[in-house]
Amino acid sequence: MPRSSPAKPGLEPVARGGDTALQDVVLQVEGLHKSYGPLEAVRGIDFRVQAGEIFGLIGADGAGKTTTFHILAGLLNASSGTVRVLGQPPRQACSRVGYLTQTFSLYPDLSVVENLRYVAGLRQVADGDFRERREQLLPLMGLAPFRDRLAGQLSGGMKQKLALCCSLIDRPEVLLLDEPTTGVDPVSRREFWDVLAQLASQQVTIVVATPYLDEAERCHRIALFHQGRIQRLGTPTELKQGLGLSRLELRCPQRQRAEHLLVEAATSQGTTTGTHGGSIVDVQSFGDRLDVLVSDASRGVSEVEALFRRQDLPLEDLQISAPTLENVFVTRLRQEGAQPLPLAFPRSGERPARADPAIAARQLSRRFGSFEAVRQVDLEVRYGEIFGLLGANGAGKTTTIKMLCGLLEPSAGEVSLVGETCQLRSRQLLRRIGYMSQKFTLYDDLSIRQNLEFYAGFYEIPQVLRRQRIDWVLASCGLEGQGAMATGLLPGGWKQRVAFGAAVLHDPEVLFLDEPTSGVDPMARRQFWGMINDFAQAGTAILVTTHYLEEAEQCNRLCFLVAGQSVIEGTPTQVKAAQPGRLFELMVPPGQTQQAADLLKRHFDPWRVGIFADRLHLVVDAPEPELAMMRTALAAAAIEIRSLRSIPYSLEDAFIGTVQRAQATDPSP
Amino acid sequence: MRARIRAQCVKELLQFRRDRLTLGLAFLLPLLSLLILGFAIRLETKHIPIVVQDLDRSHLSYAYSDRLFATDQFHPSRWRGTDPVQGALDQGTAKAAVIIPPDFSRRIKAGKPVTVQVLVDGTDANNARVIRNSIQATTRFFLLDQGLIEDAQPVRAITRLWFNPGRKESLYIVPGVYAVVLWIFPSLLAAIAMVREKEKQTILQVYASGISAGELLLGKGLAYLLVGGSMALVVMGLGSLIFRIGFAGDPTPLLVGTSLYLAAAVLFGLLLGVRSASQNAAVQGVSLIGFLSALLLSGFIYPVSNIPFPLSLVSAIVPARYFVVISRDAYVRGTGWPGVGFDVLVILLASLVLFEAARRSLGAMQLGNGDGP
Repeated sequence: MPRSSPAKPGLEPVARGGDTALQDVVLQVEGLHKSYGPLEAVRGIDFRVQAGEIFGLIGADGAGKTTTFHILAGLLNASSGTVRVLGQPPRQACSRVGYLTQTFSLYPDLSVVENLRYVAGLRQVADGDFRERREQLLPLMGLAPFRDRLAGQLSGGMKQKLALCCSLIDRPEVLLLDEPTTGVDPVSRREFWDVLAQLASQQVTIVVATPYLDEAERCHRIALFHQGRIQRLGTPTELKQGLGLSRLELRCPQRQRAEHLLVEAATSQGTTTGTHGGSIVDVQSFGDRLDVLVSDASRGVSEVEALFRRQDLPLEDLQISAPTLENVFVTRLRQEGAQPLPLAFPRSGERPARADPAIAARQLSRRFGSFEAVRQVDLEVRYGEIFGLLGANGAGKTTTIKMLCGLLEPSAGEVSLVGETCQLRSRQLLRRIGYMSQKFTLYDDLSIRQNLEFYAGFYEIPQVLRRQRIDWVLASCGLEGQGAMATGLLPGGWKQRVAFGAAVLHDPEVLFLDEPTSGVDPMARRQFWGMINDFAQAGTAILVTTHYLEEAEQCNRLCFLVAGQSVIEGTPTQVKAAQPGRLFELMVPPGQTQQAADLLKRHFDPWRVGIFADRLHLVVDAPEPELAMMRTALAAAAIEIRSLRSIPYSLEDAFIGTVQRAQATDPSP
Repeated sequence: MRARIRAQCVKELLQFRRDRLTLGLAFLLPLLSLLILGFAIRLETKHIPIVVQDLDRSHLSYAYSDRLFATDQFHPSRWRGTDPVQGALDQGTAKAAVIIPPDFSRRIKAGKPVTVQVLVDGTDANNARVIRNSIQATTRFFLLDQGLIEDAQPVRAITRLWFNPGRKESLYIVPGVYAVVLWIFPSLLAAIAMVREKEKQTILQVYASGISAGELLLGKGLAYLLVGGSMALVVMGLGSLIFRIGFAGDPTPLLVGTSLYLAAAVLFGLLLGVRSASQNAAVQGVSLIGFLSALLLSGFIYPVSNIPFPLSLVSAIVPARYFVVISRDAYVRGTGWPGVGFDVLVILLASLVLFEAARRSLGAMQLGNGDGP
């Protein structure tokens, strides 16, 4: 799509298939509207999904995705428009549709098998069929060893796999998945998507909403939802090309200043397009790099280089790269004017730069009975630094953060917090640190302002600053004038930002954020990180845990925890570079993708093979012999290789590789 | 259709078994309530403390006060101080004071009328009436015994107590307690089971499966009917043993009536579960409505005929009212079907109405238009 064309709502050409494929249309949505009283949740959307397609819905909280799912599943009646599922109204088709709701739709006090049997009974699966499918599905999802465990005692990833099992028990032709991987760690998410790819190859049609843009890459087509409309629709590749921009990855020592200059360049060009001939369109900041979106790659490079020379800024590295889906998402929504301007936090004064570490831990360990949750972790976070603590569920992230801020006594090792080594819970110290936990810490039944005033009083903030800061929180959350609204009415992403505001009201020197963005949409996440960056630039040390690995790109430094041990530490670039082997992207004829993946999994460790829509990802340690082996294996099965190229590791690839390699050498946990 | 109901029912029972809260609600709390209500409620007044100030101290005055001492209704003591009103009534150690004047025996012997002063604490009006009547009866008995009046009246009413000749009070109370316990706890359990699905949003999954409202209600209802049945066995079995009561006649109306009554209770719970948004609201609603209606409007403690007009209409639709009749008939009266057939029918009707109401509230098994995304 040419860059000049305006962002128009509605359809872009359907990517796959012409008239012949129309017979396979499984879901047909035309002019769908839904309003709740005066609130319009869905304002006219159209799309079609074909059999065996994975169709992704991407968008902010409150963009209308869940409402669309409810309508497709027959749980809600549309206000207007037609919806056909398998050629029938949704209510009549519901026995052929599986629906995985956003919340875990399991009964925690029933065992794995009991949950399955209940759904089978509800959906009238014959006993014989049920037993047969149970024996198929449980091993497929890796749940066979846990059949008698209560669902409430499964990890997040296993819960979602069980929920998927339940929705597959009556062999639905259509699967509706509403954010199925929220709160699930990266390894489990990969496995979950492998199963989805396999189902799609068996002609199951899948509609899936996800807040993770790396998952969106694994959909055949995606629709960007914004305020009840579909802004863009197409394959991930089309969307990225449709942006008409190139991405420059820029690394330099003085990132803040460089970002400032580049933003200036981008905005001045924005107002006088054409006359200047400037090609810088947008600048997005990540942990140790800046993404500069330019309309023309080579011109962009020379412009950036010229700018750096003029300002006498050192430039470490500048690489031309394809835009990511996240770039697409942010750019499109910026065009919609959805991003409030970052505001300066009202501070009581400048803080002197400090060289001593804000948080330091040596040989930190914690046991719970015979279970070692954290084993000999060393880490150091300096003032003004964003440090990411990454790991799967149960890797010890929350335990570590609790020990670092003094909520939990370590079994062994030392902690120093803003120079203090003992008495981590003293009043003076508490006033210098901020903590935001996984769970929302706001009172739902108080208004937003009352919540903030409660925390302001709690931290004894002087009256003068109190008002200013509360106004700052409201303004930077885009909630001016809505302070009287009950907090419980806010969607998740907004609530998280207000909770963040509450945690920083006292301008802490050290800030702990425990999974602050779980379940938050990409747009809200970016705004959230904008606020975090602002605090880091003002000298606050920030320690954040997350299992969104694309988000970890925002950290200056990070470490991976596996089974309570730190396995790798460094900047995102260093961590990716430290990953042994290489990642290859492979294309085979459509329809043979699953077959090829199955075949390759027999020759390689299963984690090394992943399906991303119509492409395969393969991690190899020694490219020469292993690629040759791959070629022979595929040739033997008469699968043609259409393209093969090496692509850079993402942080998620690095994480999964590290975890799997660590587990291969140490099978004890 | 049957498979779905069975699946729903089996799942409910499994969940019920796993949850300690519901287990406690099903067995421990009903038993506790049975014991508390069964032992604590006493309508007949016995052992009322009274003082007797005998200023005469003659043979006759002793004979009179001995009469008072002989009933088990009073717990009397002789007053030796000066002012019994100030000393005993004001301080609350006695509920009545009987003052026998100094010339008591002299005037009787002289054939002159004599006045005995009885001062009763009227705070508890009901009790005061009982005390007054009782002292008058005792006085009359004393006069007859001493041959001071003739026992020759043209009309005499001879009363005999049927069904409960020994006026054993537990026979009246305990069958009523069954009505309270077997209403409140089954409905509480059913309401929690229903509203929990809404709170945890598992209801979406149920909606999406295409199960009908009737099937869902029957499945859940059946499970809690079974739970209620075992609760009834435990409560009624242990109740009979502890309070030593047994069937007075044909127990089949009780059997049928109890099943229907439990069904009505469960459906009432399900209805409230369907209508309320949170577990808190459901529990509050069920227990408040349940306790008020089953305790006060059912004739369990206060006779139904005493309930004044507009409230008496409410009482007419309280199923507990009819079950109290059935239960008392089974344990006390023993008249069987002819006596309680109507009451069983009313409870059946109530169950049907409640089922239909709950089915309609669940409606199309969809989200309402008011629920946000």
